[in-house]
Amino acid sequence: MKNKAFNAFEVAQHQFDRIAEKLQLDQGTRDLLRTPMREYHFNIPVRMDDASVKVFRGFRVQHNDARGPGKGGVRFHPQETIDTIRALAMWMSWKCAVVDIPLGGSKGGVICDPHGLSQREQEQICRGWIRQIARDVGPLADVPAPDVMTGPQHMLWMLDEYETISGGRYPGLITGKPVGMGGSLGRKEATGYGVVITLREALKQLGLKAENTTASVQGFGNVAQYAIELYQQLGGKVVCVSCWDQKDQAPNTFLRKKGIDLAELQKISDSFGGIDKSKAKGLGYEIQAGDQWLSQEVDILIPAAIENQITEDNVNSISRKVKIIAEGANGPTTPEADKVISERGIFVIPDFLANAGGVTCSYFEQVQSNMNYYWTRDEVLGKLDIKMTAAFNAVSELANSKGLPMRDAAYVIAIGRVAQASRDRGWI
Amino acid sequence: MWLRPAVTAVGSEIQDIEHGARGPAGRRQAFTLSLDGTTRMTTPKIPSVFSRRFFGAEEQLSLIGSGSMGGKAQGLEQFQSVLEQLEGDCKKFPEIGISIPRLAVIGTGHYAAFMDRNRLRELAASLEPDDKIIRGFLKADLPFELVGDLRALIEGVHTPLAIRSSSLLEDAMNQPFAGIYQTKMIPNNQPDPDIRFAKLVEAVKFVYASTFSQSAKSYRRVLPDAAEEQMAVIIQEVVGNRHDERFYPELSGVARSWNFYPTGSAKPQEGVAQLALGLGKTIVDGGLCWTYSPSRPKASPPFANVHELAEQTQTEFWSVNMGSPAAYDPMKETEYLVRGSLVDAEQDGTLAMLASTLNPASDRLSIGVADRGPRILTFAPMLVSNSLPVNDIVQMLLRACEKELSAAVEIEFALTMHPLRFGCLQVRKMLVSGDKIEISERELSGDQVLVASERACGNGRNNNICDIVYVVPERFDKSKTAVIAADLEGINRSLIEGGRTSLMIGFGRWGSSDPWLGIPVNWGQISSARAIVEATLPSMNVDMSQGSHFFHNLMSFGVCFFSVHHEGQFVIDWAWLAAQKAICETSFVRHVRLNKPLEIRVDGRKGMGAIHK
Repeated sequence: MKNKAFNAFEVAQHQFDRIAEKLQLDQGTRDLLRTPMREYHFNIPVRMDDASVKVFRGFRVQHNDARGPGKGGVRFHPQETIDTIRALAMWMSWKCAVVDIPLGGSKGGVICDPHGLSQREQEQICRGWIRQIARDVGPLADVPAPDVMTGPQHMLWMLDEYETISGGRYPGLITGKPVGMGGSLGRKEATGYGVVITLREALKQLGLKAENTTASVQGFGNVAQYAIELYQQLGGKVVCVSCWDQKDQAPNTFLRKKGIDLAELQKISDSFGGIDKSKAKGLGYEIQAGDQWLSQEVDILIPAAIENQITEDNVNSISRKVKIIAEGANGPTTPEADKVISERGIFVIPDFLANAGGVTCSYFEQVQSNMNYYWTRDEVLGKLDIKMTAAFNAVSELANSKGLPMRDAAYVIAIGRVAQASRDRGWI
Repeated sequence: MWLRPAVTAVGSEIQDIEHGARGPAGRRQAFTLSLDGTTRMTTPKIPSVFSRRFFGAEEQLSLIGSGSMGGKAQGLEQFQSVLEQLEGDCKKFPEIGISIPRLAVIGTGHYAAFMDRNRLRELAASLEPDDKIIRGFLKADLPFELVGDLRALIEGVHTPLAIRSSSLLEDAMNQPFAGIYQTKMIPNNQPDPDIRFAKLVEAVKFVYASTFSQSAKSYRRVLPDAAEEQMAVIIQEVVGNRHDERFYPELSGVARSWNFYPTGSAKPQEGVAQLALGLGKTIVDGGLCWTYSPSRPKASPPFANVHELAEQTQTEFWSVNMGSPAAYDPMKETEYLVRGSLVDAEQDGTLAMLASTLNPASDRLSIGVADRGPRILTFAPMLVSNSLPVNDIVQMLLRACEKELSAAVEIEFALTMHPLRFGCLQVRKMLVSGDKIEISERELSGDQVLVASERACGNGRNNNICDIVYVVPERFDKSKTAVIAADLEGINRSLIEGGRTSLMIGFGRWGSSDPWLGIPVNWGQISSARAIVEATLPSMNVDMSQGSHFFHNLMSFGVCFFSVHHEGQFVIDWAWLAAQKAICETSFVRHVRLNKPLEIRVDGRKGMGAIHK
């Protein structure tokens, strides 16, 4: 087992360096793109419910905005680090570029655990975060969104605080708002559906039919649930789901060979996607250790939780039956594991392509909000399908024509576009 | 009992019985049983999967999603197969491209997902009025798996599209659905693809909703397997050309290889064809059009003089509105359609092959539009002068489709002149009953006769009808035909719910779209009828339709149709009807129920029929 702690930013830079070499980027371009353009670190003092004051550490990293205003979520996580935020911001730049939406990459976060915070305390953190960063975000500059353990309510608090400071109504400041309060129809499904759109296209390419496949999913949050929903609607069968157990402070895997019942599991899970273990057992699910989702005899793996889940330590437990890995989460596979997966000939849909449905729909929400005119759900999802399918096809065509793995092809397209935009602006 | 689809003859040909069994994914697998006892399986061709290219795809027909394509689409697939076999024969007409217009079919899998995920089944089955059902469907979301394909389709297509129903039950041999479900034509000419996409989505939902109109539900109640009904939707290019703000084919037509109303020396097996300028809606709705026998295209029409001819031929036509959008009305089937006149058509330059010109001084007609004068749609340039071999193509297709389907057939088609294109729009089987009935002159008169006619349609006998629904002659008001239609619909619904069939008697043209010429009902509103009498009055003295508005429904349900003129040789025994006790009566309509069924017989070969008490 490696002693070195996982550093997402090092992983992201390593990935970039490899592709920069393929693209033969000059040193100036490499220096510009391998580090964020701007970072903000700040304290957020909050008076807690028990009247004590706690100071939370918050961040906003703006990696690159040559293609347009920055875009990226704000996450609450107790183990959040600045390196993770930097990596995520960089991945956002590539994600927006690979689906060809006119946005740059940003990310933000607060080191906190919302499980232990009341609603009022969470509101104070949200408002405090905005107070610190209001000068440097905005509808035309940098547009935050929900992320791990933040949701529509958090976005509304942030929007409200921003509008109070700015003295106007700026629904385009932030995305992930509730429908009816500036949110877009289709947004909640978009990331999960986007994963399965790319999966659908991958299956076509491999000559497989969804109804003849099975899948194992890590995570049971928003992305996983909608991915499972659409995959099942296409005829596929999910036999295994794993998720974090807040009580056990460990992950669990839930197995049902005949296929999980999504609605049934949703009824016994909390708002963070944690499934109640004892209720699941009562429903006939077999409970196994958290990492067992990876070793299931399935055709498709969908890591849809957090980063650093498939590593060189566990990559060899992936079944020989697995043909496709669709990365619903950001950075779930380390470069070392990626190499093994590539050698095994498993088709990988890289994270920033597979989960780009969310940011694509966020972009649609931003456009609607800025116009103050909202589209129908059919219109949003129809456009999402076209955009994601086109992005997958572009990556796939490059991968096939140049003999590249999908991840590399996606990076080549994305980094190439960001580099070109930076060049066009005269920055390099 | 009318003889059911079984043993019939078209000329001397043997007709097959089809037993349908549904294979996986709802696909019909046909087993054809010949009368010598042998069987052969005729599994329909699997359509190609929609590749998100409409005009750019190799195949003319593709399937979006899973499930069945439905009856209409399967008919088009069969038509495609016929055309492939006729490739050599089509070379006789090198100047005309003969094909089915390109289409993509949304499979019934998406319909099921739409209904279930939006929880629409309760609304669909309810007694809510049609507009409330349509509104509920329009608010619902299409399945996500469908929207990407529709979006991709609309981004690549900029010409008018017809969004047509293609239900599972339309597949069944003896289940005619003409006019039951809706078709929506969209101009699809807006520059913004978002708007075009929205209109397409709306049209698809509208067709889904039409599955559950009150008349469609009433109609299905009398059918076996009605619970299995599911709707596929055809998205098809409209055959036509743009003329200023109108888009339409110069010619639409319906042709049948068997004619229940032969005139003069024509025989039933010579068939009949109806032609119209513009969209085929004119014909389907029972509007004025040109009717002729394909075996005798040059025969004189059955009008006394040119003025009667002028009054009884088409003067208006339907087209797709390509101009300023009309008021937003997604409830209306004709939302994007406009009616034009012959003056408009002349301006468009589309009358040259279709019209004759009347010389008012001599009261003579000249073929074509070279002379000045009122235009009359006689289609003489193509039928008499044969300047276009349209009739030859129609005959070729009727013969080929009859052979392919082993039954009498009805085909729909449309034609454009520039370029010359013959679009095959639909093919379906007709049923022909084979009973030999003889009725003597003596049986047409006497106390036992309720109705007699020498202009009767259908063939066979029915001894099962006890319910008579009739419009009371003394109370008939031609300004109230719409009210009469509503009264008939209400009584019909109660008959359907009670599992009863009826004899219906009314004045003017049954099913006329013009309420001043007859009773404006659709088939679903009178679907309990197994015998219909079309009568006239001095105040409603019109040319009788002879059932032309419900031609297909009459034949396929074995309904007999009597035409009785008030000045004719045979009359209706109104006094006897008035003496029967009514179980239901409105201002204009009476419903009586007899203790003993009527005896109804029609000799289809001679066109004579009698209803005895």
